[in-house]
Amino acid sequence: MQERVKLTDAQINRDLLRSMTENPLWYWLLVGALGACVLVAFAAVAYMFNQGLGVTGLNRPVMWGFFITNFVFWIGISHAGVMLSAILRLVQAEWRRPATRAAEVLTVFSLMTAMTMPLIHAGRPWRVMYWVFPFDWARGVYPNVRSALVWDPSAVFTYLTSSILFVFIALIPDIAVARDRTTGWKHVMYSVLALGWRGSVRQWKLQLIAGILLSAVILPIFVSVHSIVSWDFAAAVSVEGWHSTVFAPYFVIGAVHSGVSAVVTVMIILRSMFKWQDYIRLEHLDALAKLLIVVATTWFFFFVLEFLFGLYSLEGPEIRLREMQVFEMPWAAFFIAFLVCSYFIPVPMWLFRSVRRSIPWMIFTTVLVNVGMWLERFIIIVPGLARKQGLTFTWGGYTPSAVEIIIVFATFCMVSMLVLLFAKVFPLIPIGDAKEGVVLEDEIKVGKVRVPAIMREE
Amino acid sequence: MHELHHPPTPVYWGMTAQELTQDVVQRHASPGGAFWAIAGVLAALFALGVVGFVLLVTQYGFEDRNAWGYYATAFAYIFVTAQSAVLVSVALRMAKAHWRRPLARISELFAAVGLFNFLLMIPLLWVLPPTTGRRSIWFDWPAFSPHIWDTVGMATLVLTGLFILRLASLPDVAAVQDHAGGSRPMNWRGTLQQWRVQRTGLAVLGGFYFMQLIVVHMLISIDFSMSLVPGWKDSIFPAFHALNGLQSGVALILVTMFILRQTTGLRKYLEVDQFWGLSKLLLAISLLWFYFWWSGFFVYWYGRTPAEQGVLKLIMFEVYWIPFFLAFVMCFALPFLILMWNIVRKTTWGPALAGAIVLVGTFFNVMRYYVPAFSIEDHTLHVLHDVPPVNLPNVADVLVVVGALAGAALAYMLTTRFVPIMSMWELREGQILQRVRKLMKIDIKVLAKPE
Repeated sequence: MQERVKLTDAQINRDLLRSMTENPLWYWLLVGALGACVLVAFAAVAYMFNQGLGVTGLNRPVMWGFFITNFVFWIGISHAGVMLSAILRLVQAEWRRPATRAAEVLTVFSLMTAMTMPLIHAGRPWRVMYWVFPFDWARGVYPNVRSALVWDPSAVFTYLTSSILFVFIALIPDIAVARDRTTGWKHVMYSVLALGWRGSVRQWKLQLIAGILLSAVILPIFVSVHSIVSWDFAAAVSVEGWHSTVFAPYFVIGAVHSGVSAVVTVMIILRSMFKWQDYIRLEHLDALAKLLIVVATTWFFFFVLEFLFGLYSLEGPEIRLREMQVFEMPWAAFFIAFLVCSYFIPVPMWLFRSVRRSIPWMIFTTVLVNVGMWLERFIIIVPGLARKQGLTFTWGGYTPSAVEIIIVFATFCMVSMLVLLFAKVFPLIPIGDAKEGVVLEDEIKVGKVRVPAIMREE
Repeated sequence: MHELHHPPTPVYWGMTAQELTQDVVQRHASPGGAFWAIAGVLAALFALGVVGFVLLVTQYGFEDRNAWGYYATAFAYIFVTAQSAVLVSVALRMAKAHWRRPLARISELFAAVGLFNFLLMIPLLWVLPPTTGRRSIWFDWPAFSPHIWDTVGMATLVLTGLFILRLASLPDVAAVQDHAGGSRPMNWRGTLQQWRVQRTGLAVLGGFYFMQLIVVHMLISIDFSMSLVPGWKDSIFPAFHALNGLQSGVALILVTMFILRQTTGLRKYLEVDQFWGLSKLLLAISLLWFYFWWSGFFVYWYGRTPAEQGVLKLIMFEVYWIPFFLAFVMCFALPFLILMWNIVRKTTWGPALAGAIVLVGTFFNVMRYYVPAFSIEDHTLHVLHDVPPVNLPNVADVLVVVGALAGAALAYMLTTRFVPIMSMWELREGQILQRVRKLMKIDIKVLAKPE
């Protein structure tokens, strides 16, 4: 049963601008608490820069730990924006409407957060300049332009730029709505950002074409970003468990799995925070959960391939690594938790309509997915490095330090805080899209039943 | 809301429900002389294929694996294309795409080709070596595990496909029987209970077919190809194999629709909408073809281990570089260049042309995997030190390939004599759930989306 509500334009404006116009106390308390966590993390980062990477748990042979895991995780979350916005826009999925803006914004902020991780991980962030830019910085040594350290930032920067453009193009009509309802400096700011939007037919047409073109252009970028991140690992022959041809699509589909789950979590939180029950309806969660079943099952298939072909090699070190991941503590616990959290609990639950339309169950399962997906990245990165060398005396373990835990925890606070601050300045559900959705709604009478329908231009 | 503007009687495809049923049933009853003439030619070609098969058995026997490379290619090609074609109807029904309705049965009928494909697989079980001494996904299981489990997997897949065809066509076969004065299958009366069972059955069988198809792709691609090549450890290969299957399945339906449009009176059902919808799917899958291929190639290129270099030389750059080049151009470059233009996608010839090219490209793609795999003598090594020379087809190989393709086409044609090629119940459902109405000066299609 679809729960459509007949809404007027004025009502849509009022409801969707609520996050910008009202100032509840809880909002500022929440932003303040999240900001405090971020400040603590800044202090931890400053301490680490001062003392060196010795204050982390990183040591030979495990030189990639929590920071790189977190980098891959946030890059993954960023895939939600394009998945929901571009692909669903191209296939004209009606139920995408309330989810697109939140997804796009999550993309931008999670990409920004992801980019801080390698910088922090470098210990001396200014040294990154030597690796990223293929120019000689007076050392007489040119960086390798074929290196992943050059191509990673290029891909992430391109994705960030195009994502910001994507968000902005879709925002223009909504900014104009805000412009018409504000005064003073806010009015000036929105007037500048609205680029003279008057809602003429030509402007709408241009905005539509720009949206479709950007959707098509951003798709290859979206795929390339996580593929390149995956090749940071897969191109390395020296680490058992990483040199696998399925890594690129495995990483991309895993990213979509965690990203879409994160969008559902965010949507549910926004729905209750800003009373958007008429816009983010249960039918939207239902559709997203169905999409997640398909995405999660495809991801699981790639996981099976990746794991199976580790054993297929019949080579001792590779099999030893898999045994370590599955049977040795603490890796075994992480391995089981990652599979159970990211697939075996949520997917069977999503098969039930009552779960797909339940707010508590959906928030539980989607948070669980991201716990599992974080552990997945951890279980890929660390055990492989711990057994990187053939000689047993160079084997090692990894225990994250308090500094790493604080910084990683603060990234979640930072993304949440940025989304909340964005909601204060711009509407988090596209107003124009919501109104278009209402116009295109229809019904067809079949016997005694009225079946919900949508209009499509021939 | 806007229901007052809708026309009172559901008329779509220019016909009422009764006229539509009448039209499809009449076409089904009298296929025409050309149908039987083509069936005769296909039967003759199939007979030549049988001759080729006898030549293979008598001249080389089952021990000479190298002689069976093209036979394996023919088997794998029909598996990749025809068995995946069934999935198109399953997937589009799950997605509730209204434009699927006229092509649903065209897709499901390929399940009958699956049976023929299963028969083609049987001789290969005598050619396929046991797993003793070689890398395999069966590890310490009995040496003939691939023979047993691949057969079980393929049989289950074929049976599921046939069940889908049977269940989906039940109301239509009942309608045909009603007109012919025969008895209705499975006592179909069209009660609410029967419709519910049919819908639930199709959903469950469709989901099962989807998973089963992926698993069988994995089994066939690894057991009949990858595990026979020393050093070939490629985790994306089964997924690439399945993706190529889905791509060629879509291509096969596009080509079949185009042929039906040109040669039968089904033009009014198979409109641009169907070609447009499938062409977008084909474009997306062709791009994914490149992505999957690149993902595998890139890791091998960077790895550069002796085992990886041996595999690249064999299937890509030295021995079978021509089939690889043709596959690359015909499965990715040409379809992409043709289908990237919406103006071409919105025709019937554009998608059909791209589909035909993909079908040829897929043949070369399958060939470069199965012919070299069957040409390697010692499959127990872990590195391919000596790359075998190219295996060119002889007369028996050509006869077998042509005969197998003709046999598959013949199986499809003959099945259309038992099951109407248009899914009448889905077309009629489409009449009820779709409206066209004017909004200002534009024609707007109103599509109902029932739960």
